[in-house]
Amino acid sequence: MKRSLAWGALSVALFLVAIIYLYPLILVVINSLKTFTEIMTDVTALPTAPDFQNFVNAFRLLEYPSLCLNTLIATAIGTIGVVLLSSMAGYRLSRTKTRASWFVFIICVAPMMIPFQSFMIALVKIAKILHLTGSVYGLGVIYWGLGVPLSLFMYHGFVKSVPTELDDCARIDGCSPLRAFFQVIFPLLQPVTMSVIVINAMWMWNDFLLPLLVLSGEKKAMTLQLAAYNFFGQYKIEWNYAMAGVLLTVTPAIIFYIALQKHIIKGMTAGAVKA
Amino acid sequence: MKSENLKRHLRSTLEFAGFTVPAVIVIFAFVELPFLMSVLYSFTKWNGLDKVPVFIGFANYMEIFTNDPNMMQALGFTLLFTVFMVFFTNVIAMLLAVALDSKVRGKNVLRAAFYVPNIISMIIIGYIWRFIFSKGFDSFYALTKIPAFQLSWLGDAKLSFVSVVIVSVWQAIGFYMVIYIAGLQTVPKDIIEAAMIDGARSSTRFFRITMPLILPSITVCLFYSLSSALKTFDVIFSLTFGGPGTATTSIALDIYKTAFSDSRFGYGSAKSVLLFFLILLVTVFQLSLFKKREVEA
Repeated sequence: MKRSLAWGALSVALFLVAIIYLYPLILVVINSLKTFTEIMTDVTALPTAPDFQNFVNAFRLLEYPSLCLNTLIATAIGTIGVVLLSSMAGYRLSRTKTRASWFVFIICVAPMMIPFQSFMIALVKIAKILHLTGSVYGLGVIYWGLGVPLSLFMYHGFVKSVPTELDDCARIDGCSPLRAFFQVIFPLLQPVTMSVIVINAMWMWNDFLLPLLVLSGEKKAMTLQLAAYNFFGQYKIEWNYAMAGVLLTVTPAIIFYIALQKHIIKGMTAGAVKA
Repeated sequence: MKSENLKRHLRSTLEFAGFTVPAVIVIFAFVELPFLMSVLYSFTKWNGLDKVPVFIGFANYMEIFTNDPNMMQALGFTLLFTVFMVFFTNVIAMLLAVALDSKVRGKNVLRAAFYVPNIISMIIIGYIWRFIFSKGFDSFYALTKIPAFQLSWLGDAKLSFVSVVIVSVWQAIGFYMVIYIAGLQTVPKDIIEAAMIDGARSSTRFFRITMPLILPSITVCLFYSLSSALKTFDVIFSLTFGGPGTATTSIALDIYKTAFSDSRFGYGSAKSVLLFFLILLVTVFQLSLFKKREVEA
């Protein structure tokens, strides 16, 4: 009896902590529904009548649909590319036990140790030469190089748990190596693939520095994070617009999180522990 | 017979290449080549516009160490920030993980709640907190009259350091909490129960049994928090932009400003090469320190 009471008290305390912890975000929601004068009088008060005009304005000023589309294109190209390139290479490198294979593996995973800021200056130069700047497609392609090392590492480890007999089966049936891989092996890698998708999509969707460097100045090729940053700079005093803008920017990621919650937790843990 | 063998060898080599070369190409083009180029640029003077950078030997490195108060300030800030960030993030995340791995009610909701800030991009997080520190704190002061809310949390050099730490820790806790929970779940319950029967107190049980067993998680979390703190950028970019003055300019932000605001690409490259070595040194040291202490249940 005493014990369960203690657990109950801890539970209540933790819920209180959680509310305080999330209070900044609660304030964002409250203030996105207020008029400008209401924000100026008291940030903590609830809106007298919820006003959705801020969202309408922020939606229009941000050109929200095209932003979402741009970010989605870059994220999709980036994530799909990373999944394909790293699963193929991770599988082959894990199966081939030669010195050359080991060497290629090291070349592929060593870049995990190079921080992005250590090569971004020259990366911008290379992106310009390859005509990858100023477009979300180019941005997606650059993500391949940045995302493959960790993902390849994760596939490489997981493939060991897939019996080699399956490779031989597909081979005897006369499949081409690529078809054998995508029809027989790739479906079996699904648990890692989920983790890889989650890790890469969350990172690319929320990334700021690379888009800032390679898309800068290109109005048509804005991503959500980049546009949000500019938006905040522009509407410095209109906090009500800005708060609605924050919510609009954050919503897709929250939906993604709610839809894939289990996989996200698993993916994040997998990625972290493997690295 | 021999040509048959050769053919098979050729085919398996081709297959190996077909599977691996695409990955190698993108990694080389977008990570390794630019990194090597940065190392080369670090020995040059180059404004990004001239066709050919001018070779100047170690002059950039000399300047960093002898004649660049901004970089030294950024180095000091980054190291101090890293110490605070790594300490508070890991301690709080571990405490939460222990609390939320117990029999407490509603732990799934609580876990999700603490994870929420981690879904939001750092750029937005920084902006949300700029709102809290300015408008929010004004209202808090009006309501509570607590003097702390009246201070200039983003305008004062010392306080803005604290603000950057608070916001970074606030955002990061959920992620590390999840890793610690995963670690705690691998601790066999019978060992803990055996210790309980032997009369070990809960603090002894935690430090003597649980901690050593979740050392792999601690190693990972320290590694991650160290390397991400040392290259912190986004949150500062939108929260303080390195200010007031250069009080909260991290190395990564200093590199960005040197290269893309001052157009000193050679000099910025030298700084970026140093950042690489700094992170490598710190993380390799940490890993070697922790890896050999890991035990198994």
